Amino acid sequence: MNQTSLSLEQISTALTEAAKPSDLYDTLAKYESPALFLSTASDKESEVLSVFYSTFFFSHLLTDQIYEARAMTQRMPQDLAQKDPSLQNCLTLLRAVWQQNHEQIYRILRDLPWPDPLQSVVKSYDTYFQEKTLKEVSRAYEAIKPAAAAGYMGLDQTAAEKGDPAVLQRFTACGWTWDEQAGLLYPKLMEEASQQDDAKLYHDVSQILAMLGKGGSR
Amino acid sequence: MAEILTRLTSLPARSQSPHGVHNEKYDSQIRDLISYLKQPAKPSEIGNASQYLLDNLVPSEHSLSYLYVLNYRIQSIQNSTKNILPDDILPGGYSWERAVLFLQQFDPIQMRYAGQEWRNLVHLVSQAALAVSKPLLAVQIIKDCILKMDPHSRVFTSIHLVLVRLCLLSKSYGHALPVLDRQIYLFPTITGQAYQKHHRHMPCAVHESSDAFIIDDSEFSSKLTYRDCLQYLLYGSMIYMALKQWSKAQYCLSMVMASPVTNSVSKIMVEAYKKWILVSLLGHGRLTPEPGIIASHVTRIYQSLTKPYASVAEAFERGDYRGLIAEIEIAQSVWCMDNNLGLVSQVIRAFPGFMVTKLGKTFCALTMQDAAYRVSGCLPSQEIEQFVACTIMSNMLDAVLLHPPNNNGHTMLRLAHGAKSRLSQERRVQCQLISVDQSFHVLANTVDQSNIELDLGNDHFQFLQKSQRWVDHAGKIGRGFPAGNVNAADTDEDIMSDLH
Repeated sequence: MNQTSLSLEQISTALTEAAKPSDLYDTLAKYESPALFLSTASDKESEVLSVFYSTFFFSHLLTDQIYEARAMTQRMPQDLAQKDPSLQNCLTLLRAVWQQNHEQIYRILRDLPWPDPLQSVVKSYDTYFQEKTLKEVSRAYEAIKPAAAAGYMGLDQTAAEKGDPAVLQRFTACGWTWDEQAGLLYPKLMEEASQQDDAKLYHDVSQILAMLGKGGSR
Repeated sequence: MAEILTRLTSLPARSQSPHGVHNEKYDSQIRDLISYLKQPAKPSEIGNASQYLLDNLVPSEHSLSYLYVLNYRIQSIQNSTKNILPDDILPGGYSWERAVLFLQQFDPIQMRYAGQEWRNLVHLVSQAALAVSKPLLAVQIIKDCILKMDPHSRVFTSIHLVLVRLCLLSKSYGHALPVLDRQIYLFPTITGQAYQKHHRHMPCAVHESSDAFIIDDSEFSSKLTYRDCLQYLLYGSMIYMALKQWSKAQYCLSMVMASPVTNSVSKIMVEAYKKWILVSLLGHGRLTPEPGIIASHVTRIYQSLTKPYASVAEAFERGDYRGLIAEIEIAQSVWCMDNNLGLVSQVIRAFPGFMVTKLGKTFCALTMQDAAYRVSGCLPSQEIEQFVACTIMSNMLDAVLLHPPNNNGHTMLRLAHGAKSRLSQERRVQCQLISVDQSFHVLANTVDQSNIELDLGNDHFQFLQKSQRWVDHAGKIGRGFPAGNVNAADTDEDIMSDLH
């Protein structure tokens, strides 16, 4: 890749070709140096910079690198960050994620205007954040009111409070139990231990013990 | 020019050299090429034709030639412009592009013969990136260079320090981790030691450890000082702090604090101790004991120089929020002067989380109203449930929340839940075991390597035993030793002789 060139096509290709979020992050991390050669004085280059830094920001969030995401927002051209609507949205989202303000996060993702090249990555993060939150809530609550659960998941809280079956079904589909009498949802712990993990743990520990035994017998 | 090019392309990369070329032959080919490149007339001759040569050399194959041509070009431009960083080497210039291309593709085997030239180029790239206020341009390149030369990054060099400094300046903390997370435990080997006479390493050979070719003579590193080492660790800890990896940050700081001293401590060590107190509060919610290897007089010096920090830690541990705020406000100028204002403000923000965590030591369960009352000073009561839920979600608190049925009553907080998080505990222990396992492997390999270097390895002892048996056998059958030297065979000392 030419060290001084970066285009919207390259970013778009990175988005479509990345099999998983970490691939997207790795590709975009390599584009950060070429991005430094673009100027905010040119409208065309500003557009590339805006799409690049916004997409790169989301790739951080998709890989749970919140502290790195914050550092990245400090690295991007500050004059552009102050006037570009996408980057402004990213900064607002960062604040909400940092403060773990779930309702605000969904509002930013769904209600704020995002340009077309970012639509897919914004949607991906919405889905990712919902799934992540579902796991976290299932760990944090033993019994939870439907409205509170809906708030965490970015669903309609009023409908959940009234016992809307469509909303409740979103939770029961994940193995949660609905107690109509108590008006509570009972989450199912979603942290599953795969057999493969156990086998790996056993193998690793055996290796360590074997090595210690060998060392001790010397 | 074509003649020079033919000579410069005569040495292929080690991986592409014809099958069966011995290390000795390849070594002599490289040394011949270096002698050719270092001929007195060559710098100006090559410098004049540099663009043609660089366009026709392949950096991954003709790395050595490429490096010398590039360096001669840069020297010639520096001399003609009387500027250490002319436009040509600044980002966007021709030499910059070539330098970056070279550093991304060079052959690490050939580079073992041109440590100083390689290091000069790396330093120049870092200075050029800093000159245009874009340190990030050099970060990724230098990180990859270090890992290419020394894949395990075991030997500390001045380039390591350059990397962590650039990462801090560019706020690209994650890029430092692939190097920072490795176990660095060697300095470039000092040549001329007696034991090394028996073990002469050929740089182009396959070596298990990079300390065989990263030696002081090869000049991969500029002369390292005590300060360089401490600076690397302090900068490393600051990178971990930016990423909130408190235990790793604390580990780096404790190494700075525990550095050997004679009479007094250095300023950098005091700086580390100040940060260590704050990081200890942020990571554990309390002041952890100082590393045991610090001499007591050194600890006393630290304590006498960091009184405001100790007061903050005391208030934090007491759970006295007002006291904490008061102590922090009193010493505002101290935090500013020490550049620790950011850490101190994080201590304030972390306080409520640790207060909630502490409830688990006293209570098994309590209502959210009670919890709000107990942390009322530092958190608005309306936000308490949201705060506690987020604390649990971020794995900081081992507890669960229960909403009351039909909105009758208060939300319950059940603490020290334990059973639910057994899996995460096991995973944490597994990670720790794997990390210790890796350290053990590194340690064991190093001990083995040292034993071999010092002729203390098992192979050497077995050889000695066999030789001894052969000598004994030869003595019994009356041959092998000239007359008058029979006692020489009797080298096996009888340690029980005084009891006979």
